[in-house]
Amino acid sequence: MRFRAKIVDVACLNHFTRVINTIAKLAKTCTLRLTVDKLYFILTDKVANGGVSMWCELNQGNFFDEFQMEGVAAEHNEIYLELTPENLSRALKTAQNAKTVKIKLTNKHCPCVTVAVELPSLSSSSRIVTHDIPVGVIPRRLWNDFREPSVPDFDVSIYLPVLKTMKSVVERMKNLSNCIVLEANLNGEMNLKIETDLVSVTTHFKGLGNPPWVSEDGSQNSTQDRDPESMAEARIDIRKLLQLLAGQQVNPTKALCNIVSKRIVHFILLHEEVSLQYFIPALA
Amino acid sequence: SPRTMKCVIAGTHLRVFGRAIHAIARISDEFWFDPNEKGLALRSVNSSRSAYACVFFSSMFFQHYCWTAEPELCQKKRQLPLTCKLVMKSVLPVFRWLNTLERNVEKCNIYTNVNDCHITFKLFCKHGIVKTYNLAFHESEPLQAVFSRHMCPNVLKIQSRLLTDIMIHFPTYQEEVTVAVTPMKVCFKSYTEEEIDFSKAMHTKIHLNPDEFDYFQIGVDSEVTFCLKELRGLLGFAEATSASVSIHFDVSGKPIAFSIEDMMVEASFVLATLADIENRESSQQSLCLSQRQKRFEVGGKRCTGSSTAFIAMKTHIRASEYFVCTKTHFIKYCIFQFHSLFFGAVSLKEQDVISHTLHSLATASDAEDDFDNEQLSQVV
Repeated sequence: MRFRAKIVDVACLNHFTRVINTIAKLAKTCTLRLTVDKLYFILTDKVANGGVSMWCELNQGNFFDEFQMEGVAAEHNEIYLELTPENLSRALKTAQNAKTVKIKLTNKHCPCVTVAVELPSLSSSSRIVTHDIPVGVIPRRLWNDFREPSVPDFDVSIYLPVLKTMKSVVERMKNLSNCIVLEANLNGEMNLKIETDLVSVTTHFKGLGNPPWVSEDGSQNSTQDRDPESMAEARIDIRKLLQLLAGQQVNPTKALCNIVSKRIVHFILLHEEVSLQYFIPALA
Repeated sequence: SPRTMKCVIAGTHLRVFGRAIHAIARISDEFWFDPNEKGLALRSVNSSRSAYACVFFSSMFFQHYCWTAEPELCQKKRQLPLTCKLVMKSVLPVFRWLNTLERNVEKCNIYTNVNDCHITFKLFCKHGIVKTYNLAFHESEPLQAVFSRHMCPNVLKIQSRLLTDIMIHFPTYQEEVTVAVTPMKVCFKSYTEEEIDFSKAMHTKIHLNPDEFDYFQIGVDSEVTFCLKELRGLLGFAEATSASVSIHFDVSGKPIAFSIEDMMVEASFVLATLADIENRESSQQSLCLSQRQKRFEVGGKRCTGSSTAFIAMKTHIRASEYFVCTKTHFIKYCIFQFHSLFFGAVSLKEQDVISHTLHSLATASDAEDDFDNEQLSQVV
């Protein structure tokens, strides 16, 4: 198993750092899957996560100048690592004006992802800062646990409002209640509601638009038969929603959510080189 | 009153003074206000005696500086020089908003009122506003670290900006940092105690070229581990003065000193360093050679299983009683003349703190002429 990658371009470095910062806000520990073309940050829907799951995919070519990976075996040319993204975030935090950043898999006292930052210095040789981040190697027999989640059979799919606005609304609601109801219809309308014994607050969004979905077999989407005014709703943990909204450092190119009534909300955030899917289960 | 101090700090210098207070606040909740005819020293020692800070402002720093003590009176009544111990919590608010301080305050008067044990800080602000803070102090003999910089084989001098740029790579929660040197290279790395799950912690290392230092003298290869948290105070202060920082150190177990000197201000932070496991045995043996042994307990979280050194301190206490209370029994000491404590390296596990005792040397030093040669006695 070998992994060595290098970032040389400052814009790529900043972008990569932003992605890692977002992941760090969403998961305390997660799985990093490395293939020849892509990096994936995966969180499975364990009870420990409160049932939340995440799938984030990056094309390595958009970030790295050099990327060499040798998986566990020839026919399984991938590496799965368990790591704490916050550590990666910290390592990259002070690398802003680096000449190069190298990321590699090493074995110090235990398997580590080593981030080596080459910084400019006053002397003839560069200043080198290395961060050894301990990781766990996930054995091949457990790889099935980390498959890409399928898009659920949703009732409504709708584009999200401007995330910044949505975030400030949810932030205020967080002080009043632990759960929030997210409901939307095929008429481009979405409501965020909280309801307690003392107060209920609803914020209405209109004109959001509904993304067109086509089934794999080309047949019409089942949601076509649905009454466009009818709301699909899910009651979710407000903190999980806020985690997702607060973690976004850059406005995505496309942001939408798929609601399975009373079951789950599936968020999809697309940037140019990164796609992020986030699943929040409905509360009982 | 025979002991008074009065000084005036110009608005432009308040930032530096405020930064000094903030720096010292990192060491302890209390500090000493120690004026003499040359200037004003602010001193602080942490509870486990493993860090000492002193910032000395020469009289030139002040717009006006006046310190009076009538020597005849002092000698007759055997009075001590003015020594005030202040609580940091009450002083910090005076210097909290450093940026606004610089913009809005024209000058700051500080004067002591020994009769009712108060120090007054009077800030003359714009628009005729005067803010007066009367802070109570209690009389207490300041401690000073016994440490000779010129005895250190390793001396580095580095721009304060650069030192900050180095330390910034360590996460804010990083408590301890090791500096490893040979004549050819320098490396700062994070230190983790063995008890903590080694596989969870991130390790950071910064490799530097000796070229980056203004002065680089390594007499002995060494690796010393010190508390970064305590140093951060000095780094903040260094930025305010933009002077360079001198680092004096020896082998592990001996203190490391970080100091800044410019024309009007001198700051020095002396930090204990962890002693190597290998050296621990030998240094404890050498401690046991002393005839006078003093037992006392060291509190504080630094004694958690690793070998912790503390710094030798001296004071000029004359006749007073010094009480130490442990969890199991009460030990009373009578100190007539307390000269100096040699510093020792000991190892304590947290759960054994009560049953273990800390052995240390206490011998009379011949440094001070005006004290009688009375002995330290121990009454149990």
